[in-house]
Amino acid sequence: MSNTLGKRYQCEKCGTEVLCNKAGTGELQCCDANMKIKEAKPLPSSD
Amino acid sequence: MNTVNFVTIPSSIVPEEEILVCGNRRLTYAQLAQTVARMCTVYKQLGLKPREVVAALDTNSELYIASYYAAAQAGLTFLPLNYRAKEAELEYMINTAAAKVLLAGDRYLDLVRKLGPKLKLNRVVGFGAGQGDIAPISKLLSDAAPDETEAEVEDEDTSILMYTSGTTSLPKGVMLSFRDFTAYVTANVEMADGTDRGVALVCVPFYHIAGTTAYMSNIWTGRKLVVMPQFEPKAWLKLAESEQVTHAFVVPTMMKQLLDEPSFKTTDLSKLTNLAYGGALMPIQVIRRAIEAFPKTVGFVNAYGQTETTSSLTVLGPEDHRIEGTEAERELKLKRLNSIGKPLPDVEVRVRDEEGKILKPGEVGEIIIRTPRIMKGYAGREDDSALAEGWRATGDLGWVDEEGYVFFAGRKDDMIIRGGENIAPAEIETVLMSHPAVDECAVIGVPSVEWGQTVKAFVVLRTGGKLTADELSEFCRSRLASFKRPEHIEFIAVLPRNPLGKILRKELRGQNGE
Repeated sequence: MSNTLGKRYQCEKCGTEVLCNKAGTGELQCCDANMKIKEAKPLPSSD
Repeated sequence: MNTVNFVTIPSSIVPEEEILVCGNRRLTYAQLAQTVARMCTVYKQLGLKPREVVAALDTNSELYIASYYAAAQAGLTFLPLNYRAKEAELEYMINTAAAKVLLAGDRYLDLVRKLGPKLKLNRVVGFGAGQGDIAPISKLLSDAAPDETEAEVEDEDTSILMYTSGTTSLPKGVMLSFRDFTAYVTANVEMADGTDRGVALVCVPFYHIAGTTAYMSNIWTGRKLVVMPQFEPKAWLKLAESEQVTHAFVVPTMMKQLLDEPSFKTTDLSKLTNLAYGGALMPIQVIRRAIEAFPKTVGFVNAYGQTETTSSLTVLGPEDHRIEGTEAERELKLKRLNSIGKPLPDVEVRVRDEEGKILKPGEVGEIIIRTPRIMKGYAGREDDSALAEGWRATGDLGWVDEEGYVFFAGRKDDMIIRGGENIAPAEIETVLMSHPAVDECAVIGVPSVEWGQTVKAFVVLRTGGKLTADELSEFCRSRLASFKRPEHIEFIAVLPRNPLGKILRKELRGQNGE
């Protein structure tokens, strides 16, 4: 699995968040585990 | 993270995408990033050091936005000043914030000169043409090489010092950190990646939190931002059509002006899918009229928030604005139009009484909130709104219904106490506004020897509307408990409001000996 441009990745153990600003084929890891994508929950408003 | 990345990261991904439009000026991400980097150099040439304060006094523009991001890049604190502030307020804000440099638009230069040595500034720079020894920023920018470095900032560092509108007292300086903005923006929009995310029109001032979060979120997500220097209904409609605007935010008074503008009927708003409103309480008649008048493709959003919480806390979404279904469903939806919606995913809302006890659905008390983006505090003064375990008292009254919709019932300070009975002005105003001849109104408490306070209503009639105080009082008889009925009704031509449309009750109270 590769990582995805513009996504935030979160470590479920220590809470670290990482933002991907250039995608690659690697996989992000923290605290000996793969980091999980954290989706934005789009605001319905203009900001 | 440093918020300058809201420009530099998208700029590295989609540099040629057009992101900013202001008048006849159109900027791509790369051009914006370039302007920001040059302005960062200018700040350094002016002697500004990390954590010092640069202030801005002007209407909205692309240079204003660049001046904020350059401040972030240089690790400075940005102070966006209310351009309608009076001399004494400006002096207070600039001096208490210890601003070193002021960027001011041409129309404010006379005012700045008049204040002269009272302002403890090192330097004033013109956003426009400048004047005498006040150099235009354009000249400084053209002589400056882009700064490629980014100041190391701590997440807790103050990125923006934003003075609140201060309807009741001296403005309070809200310290918002890099973390506050990063949390708000990244939680609510995806990063720009070339996806078409539409076009946003921003007309609220950048010294207001709604204007600030509008440019931050839209630039980060790749939604082209069309900047209006100041709101004007005819120009707004023209831009909405010509730029094919999909998203916009207005305050209630702007919504009313748009509906009253003759060119509204002939404007093509077919691309507009999202029209948010907030900043002040929306009169129910105005939103109902808007739902009728705008194309059915427009989704309305009511956003409630505070500067202290880095913008929106609750949102009433498009579905809640579609008045459809059975009669019972329609009735429920109409009732909910008075609601400020449900909390955003990163917000918790509760209602408490004077003793701090959490109230049940339907009971009116003070709205308290918890979110990771509460301000660091007020500059130079205590924050008495912080509660235990990360909660914060909003100073707003309200209640929550069984399904979690939050209703706003006015400011706690505006509560009227008549003979020991608490009366929320908003409740009485809602009844008065439901009279067809009433255009606007405001309710305050006036001193009374017998009751402590009694209820007084200031009423503005619709054009051509005819109504006597006795008739309006009679109208209230069947709709309000007797102690809530206004004992004094005064018809006036216009309500005093602040620039965002909030009613200045202090001025109304001032006319009544309080």
